Amino acid sequence: MISYSNPFPLSLSDLEKIIEVALSQGGDFADVFQEYRRYQAVVMEDDIIKETSESIVQGLGIRVINGEKTGYAYTNEISLDKVKQAALTAAAIAALPSPVTVKPLVAQKVTTDFYPLKVSPDSVPLDQKINLVREAYLACQGFDSKIIRVKAALGDVMQWVAIANSEGLYIAEARPMIRLSCVAIATTAGRREVGFAGAGGRVGYDYFTEVKTPKSVGQEAAEEALTLLEAVDAPAGEMPVVLAAGHSGVLVHEAVGHLLEADFIRKKTSVFWDKLGQKVGSSQVRIIDDPTLPSMRGSYNFDDEGTGPKPTLLIDQGVVKGWLQDRLSAKLMGLPLTGHGRRQDFTSFPLPRMANTYVDRGEYSPEEIIRSVKKGIYAERFEGGQVEDSGKFTFTISTGRLIEDGRLTAPIKQATLIGMNIEILHNITMVGSDLSFSPQIGTCSKEGQEVPVGDGCPTLKIAKMTVGGQL
Amino acid sequence: MSREDREKKFRAEIRELQLMAENLVNFGQQIGADEVEVTVATGQEFSVNIRQQEIEDLTEANFRLLSFRVIKDKRTASANSSDLSPETIKNLMKAAIQRATIANPDGYSGLPSSLEPHVDPASLKLYDPEILAIDPRSKINLALETEKIALSDHRISNSHGANFATSVAAIILANSNGFSDYYEVTSFNLGVGLQAGETDERVEDGWFSSRRFFRELDPPEIIARKAVERTVRLLKPKKIKTQTVPVIFEPPMTAWLLGFLFTCVAGTSIYQKASFLVDKLGEKIAGTNVTVLDDGLIPGKLGSRPFDSEGVPTRRTPVIESGVLKNYLCNTYAARKLNLSSTGNADGSGVSPNNFYLVPGQLSLAEIVSSLRKGLILTKTIGHGLNPVTGDISRGAFGLWVEGGEVAYPVSEITIAGNLGEILANIESIGNDLGYETAVCGPSIKVAELTVAGE
Repeated sequence: MISYSNPFPLSLSDLEKIIEVALSQGGDFADVFQEYRRYQAVVMEDDIIKETSESIVQGLGIRVINGEKTGYAYTNEISLDKVKQAALTAAAIAALPSPVTVKPLVAQKVTTDFYPLKVSPDSVPLDQKINLVREAYLACQGFDSKIIRVKAALGDVMQWVAIANSEGLYIAEARPMIRLSCVAIATTAGRREVGFAGAGGRVGYDYFTEVKTPKSVGQEAAEEALTLLEAVDAPAGEMPVVLAAGHSGVLVHEAVGHLLEADFIRKKTSVFWDKLGQKVGSSQVRIIDDPTLPSMRGSYNFDDEGTGPKPTLLIDQGVVKGWLQDRLSAKLMGLPLTGHGRRQDFTSFPLPRMANTYVDRGEYSPEEIIRSVKKGIYAERFEGGQVEDSGKFTFTISTGRLIEDGRLTAPIKQATLIGMNIEILHNITMVGSDLSFSPQIGTCSKEGQEVPVGDGCPTLKIAKMTVGGQL
Repeated sequence: MSREDREKKFRAEIRELQLMAENLVNFGQQIGADEVEVTVATGQEFSVNIRQQEIEDLTEANFRLLSFRVIKDKRTASANSSDLSPETIKNLMKAAIQRATIANPDGYSGLPSSLEPHVDPASLKLYDPEILAIDPRSKINLALETEKIALSDHRISNSHGANFATSVAAIILANSNGFSDYYEVTSFNLGVGLQAGETDERVEDGWFSSRRFFRELDPPEIIARKAVERTVRLLKPKKIKTQTVPVIFEPPMTAWLLGFLFTCVAGTSIYQKASFLVDKLGEKIAGTNVTVLDDGLIPGKLGSRPFDSEGVPTRRTPVIESGVLKNYLCNTYAARKLNLSSTGNADGSGVSPNNFYLVPGQLSLAEIVSSLRKGLILTKTIGHGLNPVTGDISRGAFGLWVEGGEVAYPVSEITIAGNLGEILANIESIGNDLGYETAVCGPSIKVAELTVAGE
């Protein structure tokens, strides 16, 4: 467990006073989210360490909940006076004073440790970080003479959060995050392609010796660019699609996960709102969101409302089993908390969000799945996707291959897949036994708030899906 | 506090922060930096979300951010902080100068060398003093009113809610070449998101208005009606066969396409060879009917500013003129790498558009549609799928199918695929409906052909 001195200037009794002010006009609940974040980054380009940067983010957000209404105020100026003023602003959401007793704050211990790291990001000197970036850069550049440009970047963050609420909770922790990425541009005979690779998670610098080397990140970026130089246009139209294990988790995230977030259910905007207990997909499909997986981007010891997270079963044997909850939605729906109330930073109030979402393993071997397809595509890596509440979603393949007569053949260029989520869930006809997680670089955006997430899946076969390639 | 008092308080704060920026520049130089550039942004935000005629949430805040970069022996380091206490800032400055010594020297680095004629911020009309006079109740009512009108249409089945948001900010910049200036900007946004249809076949869309001046904002009626119209026209979509057809882009879609073009003409993409437009200056890359400008000097518009993040005055830069690629859009660094001049597009270490738009033509959207025998009106795209290195585009799409010059039915679950270079060369018609709702914007256009994948 990472232990740090408390970077927050406000005492427990200050926080109690602030919560009292926040509830002085009434309301059901108030909380204070304090954040202090240090970020360091190194960029290498044109064969030189071009720039290093550092940032400090400090601020505090105060929320007052009154029925279904939320009042929110935030400030970067952390003096008791300024914060009380912000508390009054948030309090304005409650028009009628009501007798809510503010419980005295009791500091709780964090009893789990989902970031089991050895070398914390802020204990490593800058020149060592520079060496890691250089290693990725040189491995990429030296991989093949067709690689004409490389950019490598490393960023690490330590985020301290402390949450206090009107129910007497006070809890604090430090959350680490590292992200190394490499972009390669390859060229041949007038054609130019770009490859990308990344790695990291809620890890320490021991990760780069024990789990994944910067060298392998550089090489993967180069390989992707080189593969794309050989790529043919993807076919267009409806066809079987096999999703590779790991990267394809983004499909689950987009097509299913978002629409199981409780706010969309409560507001009845999600296509799933009336489908709890109903079969929405093939019996082979089991989907879980688990914020407690060690070292993953979406993991935390408590969510941004102070709730201890639980692995949450969303779909089992194709049947909808549950939603991802934050406090507001859980209370309004009369359901238990799941620990999925997350926020981008102190400027935003919590929303129900995914953490690490994955499809559980099935019984088919990946080879068997590929062999079953006569003509289709194999999707290996993705740029990302997007979903509408109606269930229509899309995602973009950055690398993949044709499947011809049960075998992987030519690499294909970028193509987009589109479909209706329930249709796709029903069309998942084979689930592989090879569950893995995508590289730890994913960020999810919802209502303008970005949070780090993880996702995963085994090899999956979708019997038919619309592919947008060239005619 | 009265409006006059609030106005006075805001000015006093700006003066104080400008002094802080100038002092930090001096401090950096005193402790060894060759060049220093300090930016401070300060402001206030208000946002209210209404859903089903109730306030869902209301946020009010003050924000401040100080950022700086230092150059020592041609080596650069940067930092930013939302903690503006003198001790934190001084420590960050000391650490940055130390970090700069670890980076490599880069002959292209540094501040802009000579500063060009000053643009008077007042001439750009970016600040509406009215912002300090609108009370919260009126702001809430605007959002309530917009959603109410939209919900009164029986075809609307649910609402994502209406939002009214305002912001006021001052951008202060000081550097070691003697530059010290600031400008103030306001913005007002009103919009609503809607759903129509039953659970399993619902469609969604919305509309918004975004302006620097409160009185220029579209009224609730106009926004609500447009949001309803845009949503219900998508009801009962059909699938279509995969085919290659002409495609009409409505203004928000042209804006999306131009956003992608901006990435491809950004000087930072060019020197990184991450654009299909590398080495194409002076070449014909589009039809002769295509002229695209980047103009930071149009009074009152969202993409206008007197100077960029390096203090370089903004200007009117032809990007594509009658089909010929005229300029890449550069900050000082990209300009030096490419042996060009900065175009006043610096934004931190990257570039951003000013008002980046396609010059409108003569035809109305209705006239363009009536000229289409068979094809697609593109109304929305979702997902990723833009590759600046190749210009390739591949996205999930929504649209309206046109037959015999008339809209026949909506289509969904389609994707479009094409290439920006080919699209620019094949724009058959350009509309007259340029609206400046966003900094990157354009009128309706008709493109000769794109692959639309369906069944």
